[in-house]
Amino acid sequence: MSWLTPHVATQIVDFSSAMLLLTCFAIVAQRRLSACVDLFALQSLFLAMTAALVAFLTGSRHIYIAAALTVVVKVIVIPRVLKGVIERLNVTRELVMKINVPASLLICGALVMIAFFITQPIIPFGHLLTRDSLAIALAIVLIGFFTMISRQKAVTQLIAFLVMENGLFLGATAATYGMPLIVELGVFFDVLVAALIAGIYTNRLQDAFDSVDTVHLSELKE
Amino acid sequence: MMESTVMIAVGLLLLPPLTAGCLSLLINSSRWLHVINLISIGTLVGAEAVVARAVFLQGSVTAFAEIVYIDALSSVILFIIGTVGLACSLYMRSYMDEQVARGVIAPKRLSLFFFLFHMFILAMVLATVANSLGVQWVAIEATTLATTFLIAFWRRRESLEAGWKYLILCSVGISLALFGVVLMYYSSLRVLGDVSSALNITQLQQVAAQLDPHILKLAFVFLFVGYGTKVGLVPMHSWLPDAYTEAPAPVAAMLAGVLETVAVYAILRCRGIADQALSPDFTGGLLALFGLISFALAAFFILLQHNYKRLFAYSSIEHMGLAMVGFGVGGPLGTFGGLFHLVNHAFAKSLAFFAAGNIHRRFKTVEIDQVRGLTTVLPWSALALLISGLALTALPPFALFTSEMQIITALSSSGLPDEWTQPGTRIPVVILLLCSVVAFAGFLYRITGMVWGPAPKDVVPGERWSVGHVPIILLGTMLAGFGLALPASLRHFVEMASALLLSR
Amino acid sequence: MIAGQSIFQAIVLTLAQAIVLIALSPAIVGLIRKVKARFQCRRGAAIFQPYADLRKLFCKQPVVSTTTSWIFTATPYIVFASTMTAGLLVPVFASQMPLNFAGNIIAFVYLLALGTFFLILAGLDAGSPFGGMGSSRESIVASLTEPAMIMAIFAIALTAGSTNLSTIVHRTALLEGIVTDPASHVMALAALFIVALAETGRVPVDNPATHLELTMIHEAMVLEYSGRYLALVEWASGIKLLVFLTLIANVFVPWGIATSVTPAALSIGLTVYVAKVAGLAVLIGTIECMFAKLRLFRITDLLGVAFILALLGLLFFYILRG
Repeated sequence: MSWLTPHVATQIVDFSSAMLLLTCFAIVAQRRLSACVDLFALQSLFLAMTAALVAFLTGSRHIYIAAALTVVVKVIVIPRVLKGVIERLNVTRELVMKINVPASLLICGALVMIAFFITQPIIPFGHLLTRDSLAIALAIVLIGFFTMISRQKAVTQLIAFLVMENGLFLGATAATYGMPLIVELGVFFDVLVAALIAGIYTNRLQDAFDSVDTVHLSELKE
Repeated sequence: MMESTVMIAVGLLLLPPLTAGCLSLLINSSRWLHVINLISIGTLVGAEAVVARAVFLQGSVTAFAEIVYIDALSSVILFIIGTVGLACSLYMRSYMDEQVARGVIAPKRLSLFFFLFHMFILAMVLATVANSLGVQWVAIEATTLATTFLIAFWRRRESLEAGWKYLILCSVGISLALFGVVLMYYSSLRVLGDVSSALNITQLQQVAAQLDPHILKLAFVFLFVGYGTKVGLVPMHSWLPDAYTEAPAPVAAMLAGVLETVAVYAILRCRGIADQALSPDFTGGLLALFGLISFALAAFFILLQHNYKRLFAYSSIEHMGLAMVGFGVGGPLGTFGGLFHLVNHAFAKSLAFFAAGNIHRRFKTVEIDQVRGLTTVLPWSALALLISGLALTALPPFALFTSEMQIITALSSSGLPDEWTQPGTRIPVVILLLCSVVAFAGFLYRITGMVWGPAPKDVVPGERWSVGHVPIILLGTMLAGFGLALPASLRHFVEMASALLLSR
Repeated sequence: MIAGQSIFQAIVLTLAQAIVLIALSPAIVGLIRKVKARFQCRRGAAIFQPYADLRKLFCKQPVVSTTTSWIFTATPYIVFASTMTAGLLVPVFASQMPLNFAGNIIAFVYLLALGTFFLILAGLDAGSPFGGMGSSRESIVASLTEPAMIMAIFAIALTAGSTNLSTIVHRTALLEGIVTDPASHVMALAALFIVALAETGRVPVDNPATHLELTMIHEAMVLEYSGRYLALVEWASGIKLLVFLTLIANVFVPWGIATSVTPAALSIGLTVYVAKVAGLAVLIGTIECMFAKLRLFRITDLLGVAFILALLGLLFFYILRG
């Protein structure tokens, strides 16, 4: 693999991180919930590919396990759970948005810039291989956070939370070539249980409120 | 102290909640569920005592190939978990029975309740004794997951709303904390080079001085914001009043007393590591600033409250803010005051929620205006409410007076760290005193209004003594006792813990 | 003018490029229609059907409304000429063509915009409500695609260090397979692709096969044309599609293009070019079958996405370089 110089390797990992960011923007621009779930599955697939790439290039075995777990949990199990929730609740699209799509896209662009500025002091110190992926990871976390604030449907908020977790996994893989295995397992377990709990929760919300629009969840005030 | 005894004790810290939880899922009889609960908590308390003694003698305990690390700070937190857990379990004996008898809870749901309760305790203990920051993170996120359904247990609309807000806000906050953990791991990898043990607190403490300050600054900010959401610091506190109002009383007591303390412990651990690389002023100023803002805001919200559970919730935010100020100001007095405050607040707040639970069951309302004449209707709960009310407003002879005095003295003598305010300014102390007066007035006015006065006509008076009232006596005595004469062993422990935090 | 080339060679090469563009564009349109038909489980018309359509139209007599001005009759020629000129500015099968000295990005964008401008005017000129409606819709789309297109191409220009299209393609082609800023290029490619779909009136922005009042944009503007005018306008929109595909193919995946003017290189360049453009046409056909046309006011969302992606591509270039 003589063409696989460190420079080329960095470029490949950068490319997959950029694809992750692209799917992030696609999720923000989407109104249909099932499309959001599909995009999340696609993003997790890219994430697993990035992780596997980093594992291949650096020779750390345990990242392979984490990548496999990503595929199983986030590409197969969680989207299936979410699709089931969406079908049962019969909620298909985000009808009213607090911030319309072009404005939220601009804000997300600004968040990407902020993420790059924040990680600027750290980046020169990093491993040459995945230097820029940390910045992209923080950008994904911030975009997920913003999406969670600006959307109303409970299912979209859940997807935004899962996008945040994806960004964190990318950050962990990029900066530290993955966390210790036991921590990775714990994180995956937590994410899975959180998704399941939120799925059950949305069912209860639907039963109680006849909708999963969190705009109804504002009765408790000062 | 034999090594194996300590090992067994450490194992007994984690095993009982796990087995009790699994058993609770299988058992339906309420009596057996309570018995298992009490046995598990009792074992926990016993194991804690053994471990505490070992820590007292050795300084710290590391067990199971460096998975578990317990030092004086962890022992203090374990003490809080054990005591409040025991008090809660005793209280639940009568509380749950009455709810089941009234048909509010189906028996099958009771086993689910206990399962979640045990998982909750397991997660908190794990967060306290874990050596790896990553495992600590996993445990704290697990507490969020375990308590979501506990908060929404009544399945009312408001409970669901509170539970959803709690789940989302805390999960988001804790995800930010994960980013902080990643950054910390990153900085430690560059120094240590090893993979799996680079997140261990033991390792981090050894190399802390060599870690890169830029990365640590960022990491600490993320960790503080993330875990601060769980503590309930302003502006990440919006889940707190709703969650405490809607949760069943024993759950609210555990959340207010113990969970916040564990989250503070997590922050303190990270601070201890960060302080060796950064200047303590940066982290201290951050803690003190947020603490002061929380204290001030909560004090004013207390004035507006007409729901007594929400009142206690804001009081929690206020006291956590005060503890943060104590830690932020630093120095031996401030740190001791902060730690002592955590202990006292846990006891006082759980006592308050026990009383609130009893009042809610009898009066069927959470409005302060509709609760009157507790001395005739619920004498024991009136006593509990009075004790906790006086304690929470920091009146002598209760221990919160001592700890609050210590924190205020520390603040007035050294002020906020110079990086954050003008040197020598007295404004923070003035704000603190002003807000505590405001909170004092609002809180006490409402408490006395509830306790005294003629009883409403449609409420059945009289309260029979049951095992659920034992915690009232227990906690009340401890609060008064600590205030009047702090037991030497406890003081020694807290001093050891504060020395650990200060030795930077 | 390239050093060492005679004027004769220059003219021949330029004519060759023009002929390739003119000859290939109806085939590309036919290919897209064939792909769509296959997806819809029909056999569909032959790929070379558009040639027959054009021939038929040229033989017919045009009918012109009496209320139109000179703009109406002049527009088809202006549109054809401007699109053709813009096409000559983009490297097609060789990266260094004689006219490329004028191949500035800005010139390219505004030549295309000139054509669109006159089409909009012509749509208004006939005075029919369909024409006015189509023109107003087209101006929404055009005004939103322009910033995205310029930003996307600038992102590429920064990598190559010049705004001249042939220089960009030439330099990238010479790098032999190494993409220097993949993240930036990915974003710019995505943005440019969306812009291409919008500018050439493809689903999900506009349906080229519809004549329903509710849904047509480009078709509404040219509704009044007939005979040779219609032929020219249709051909020009085909050439515009081909030019965009050429731009995407040659700027992002330029390998295979002839970097020297030798017969061997030129023939390889031509074959590779046809293959690339055909592949992109199949992709567009597939996308047209996968998505439904967007509501008019959702088009702004899509073009906003394109703009942000282009912006990010620009940003990534600066930041990821260090």
